[in-house]
Amino acid sequence: MSTQVHANLTEEQVQKISSDLDEPQWMLQQRLEALEALEDLEMPKVIRTPGRDWTNLDALEFDRFVDPLDRAQEKDRVDAEGVEVLGWAEALEEHSDLIEEQFGSVVDPQRDYLTALSTALFSAGTVIYVPEGVVAEDVKVRTRMNSRSLFNYTLVIAEQSASVAILERQSTGEESVAPAQDGAFDGTEGRRYYSGVVEAVAGENAHIQYGALQNLTEDTYNYQVKRGHAGSYGQVNWIEGNIGTRLTKSSVETRLLGEGSESKIVGAFFGHEDQHFDVASRVWHEAEHTTADLVTRGVLDDEARSVYEGVQDVGDSAWSTNSYQRENTLMLSDESEADASPKLIINNHDTEASHSATVGQVDDEDLLYMVSRGIDEEDATDMLVEGFFVPVLEEVAVDELRDDLETLVSERLD
Amino acid sequence: MSSEELQNTDTEARFEFKKEESSAFEAEKGLTEETIRVISEDKNEPEWMLERRLRALRVFQEMPMPDDWPGAPDLSEVDVDEIVPYIRPDIDARGGADNWEDLPDEIQDTFDKLGIPEAEKNALSGVGAQYESEIVYQNMQEQWEEKGVVFCDMDKAVQDHEEILKEYFMTKAVPPSDNKFAALHGAVWSGGSFVYVPEDTTVEMPVQAYFRMNSDGMGQFEHTLIIAEENSEVHYIEGCSAPKYSEFNLHSGGVEVFVKENAHVQYSTVQNWSKNTYNLNTKRAIAEEDATMEWVSGSMGSKATMLYPSTILKGPGATDNHITIAFAGEGQDIDTGAKVYHNAPDTKSTIESKSISKDGGRTNYRGLVHIADGAKDSSTAVECDALMFDNNSTSDTMPYMEIQESQVDVAHEATVGKIGDEDVFYLQSRGLDDDDAKQMIVAGFIEPITEELPIEYAVELNRLIELEMEGSLG
Repeated sequence: MSTQVHANLTEEQVQKISSDLDEPQWMLQQRLEALEALEDLEMPKVIRTPGRDWTNLDALEFDRFVDPLDRAQEKDRVDAEGVEVLGWAEALEEHSDLIEEQFGSVVDPQRDYLTALSTALFSAGTVIYVPEGVVAEDVKVRTRMNSRSLFNYTLVIAEQSASVAILERQSTGEESVAPAQDGAFDGTEGRRYYSGVVEAVAGENAHIQYGALQNLTEDTYNYQVKRGHAGSYGQVNWIEGNIGTRLTKSSVETRLLGEGSESKIVGAFFGHEDQHFDVASRVWHEAEHTTADLVTRGVLDDEARSVYEGVQDVGDSAWSTNSYQRENTLMLSDESEADASPKLIINNHDTEASHSATVGQVDDEDLLYMVSRGIDEEDATDMLVEGFFVPVLEEVAVDELRDDLETLVSERLD
Repeated sequence: MSSEELQNTDTEARFEFKKEESSAFEAEKGLTEETIRVISEDKNEPEWMLERRLRALRVFQEMPMPDDWPGAPDLSEVDVDEIVPYIRPDIDARGGADNWEDLPDEIQDTFDKLGIPEAEKNALSGVGAQYESEIVYQNMQEQWEEKGVVFCDMDKAVQDHEEILKEYFMTKAVPPSDNKFAALHGAVWSGGSFVYVPEDTTVEMPVQAYFRMNSDGMGQFEHTLIIAEENSEVHYIEGCSAPKYSEFNLHSGGVEVFVKENAHVQYSTVQNWSKNTYNLNTKRAIAEEDATMEWVSGSMGSKATMLYPSTILKGPGATDNHITIAFAGEGQDIDTGAKVYHNAPDTKSTIESKSISKDGGRTNYRGLVHIADGAKDSSTAVECDALMFDNNSTSDTMPYMEIQESQVDVAHEATVGKIGDEDVFYLQSRGLDDDDAKQMIVAGFIEPITEELPIEYAVELNRLIELEMEGSLG
């Protein structure tokens, strides 16, 4: 399985990507090591139960639609006062030492096959650097994918007592080239691959809120890892909205490393047709007095399928931990499927931890009530779906993200 | 035996003793086709049963160990070749002695300490006590025999109820291909109970069997088959305990329950294998239309347990209830839970799990709820609560939900916490010492389980927990 891509990936390609970005030698080295590691690495783990794999990643056929040198994309980077939002080449020029120190410190560049692939091939990179004490909102990074495959990397560093709210949007550009040149006979026409790795480092008392809204076209396969380290009294909060793609495999993770650190992971997805979302929220409590709150809500229509994994891992030194997790899925269609596995791994007894998960449909009584008030059934259902997302939307501090998510939800309902 | 008498029994003595081995036949160590043939021949089994054993042996040899599960207990010490699969106690009466007095003194003594005959006299309608691999004592009160209720050991059932066994034995509920240890079980099974309840019959008192292992390096592979015909009702109780040994033991039982239309079966287990036993069981029920299956399981003993009683809700309106309690102390890894397959409309399931971990023990709730496409108006509610005593222990919860039908109601909830300081303080202020206060809190924590059990079992469960907690708190 893991040898399949190798055929059309070469060191020369990786060297070209690196030299086009004027990368220093250490970065090229990271890429080449990741390339070499591909041979031995496994695909990201998927949940298995007797007789079933919840997501089949082997069906991706990467070698058919990954073209490492086709890197067309557009990026808008909106910075805020005091915050540096830099493209990869520029960032390396200005903060080479800092990046060398932090790159790969949060997400292992060789964590699995797809991450290593991303490390070797990423061409779109962004560094968001928030110096000590700076408080900023409305940092925005919008990526439009204009190629058959795109590998994206983002590093967020918030120094002591800094605070930043970041919005990332991923969509497919209108000028996008028709993918899969040879699609006529290899059966991969119209397929794309998007891969994104985000590392976030929150120093002492620093706050990072990272909101991502993914609305790629529904011919796209999508792999994302977002992972943060929270220092003492620091916070790393994630908001993850998934609307687009044919298949998404995404994990949003926080390690609570400093005393009193916190993390909130909010997820929302809305799948229709044959979309498949495999999403995970994971948190590791590794210090005293840490708090985590994981909230995910998803809606499934048509033949869409969701896989949710939530992990609350409390280490043996995590005294006085609070950890909560809620996941709710609403099924609008009989053909859809919702799989969920909320996990608790508790190694310290001084813990208050809970999780809950529900799966259900639109409440008949709610519907009846609204119909009796003169709203037709379809409108009533739409309103109930919009209402279902409210507890998640309320967690979103960035207006643009909230508005966009609301708009995308109501567009899908039309 | 009154509950008061049971309270006064020295619990430690009841569970820590071991008898001199005295066996008529001991199979060669190691597992080969020859071993299987010897077992089958010694039991005078029909050809079809030998063939099933050999088929299961081949499946066993082909299947991998279940070691790729996240957080699965370490089974690397399980070396099946070191297990003597079959030991038959040295008694004349094959298929069980009819009278308690006919049993060898030593065996009588063992069961006396466990309180079996007293319990039987008081409340139980039948007792099948398994010493080593075979049922040595069988009794069924006459009133049930008249109604056509069958309660006998499996070896006898193979001879006397051949057609029924041919149809049901490891064909529908637990095929050997289910997992590696089910396959092992299918190859070397020995002893166990057969319960048959005819149509429209209610067995009012619980049917009980007690299993013990008492030989070094010995595995026990008893098979239980329960068939409850339409509109019938039965409560089966299985209790297990084994003395401590230096060499490890393997227990790999198989339980198959068939709950026919509108029938009701409760299967209760209190398991207290010694702390060096690997307890790897496969238990499954198939529930037809409007049938109810109830599993009540207490897992106290063993070094490692992997046990997930499962129910296939095959008929519309069928119901499944699980109540499970796990208690892991020093060196124990209790990985247990439940599996439910909703394969028909209007099916309901509830799972209530309570686990306690202390002194470095690990408990894990591992459960699967599957709602198949078309199982409309089904509902499931899963509730897992865990209590942790100290910082060396681990408490994990790993539920899996697969929902393929939209008209359903699925809810899962879990909590983990430490024993409440305030609760302990309150009880201490009422004059209880720290140990007693904690024992009382634990007893309250598991009450939903104990109240489902007959009084003797509830008392025994509480006594076992008391024993587990004695001297190790403070």
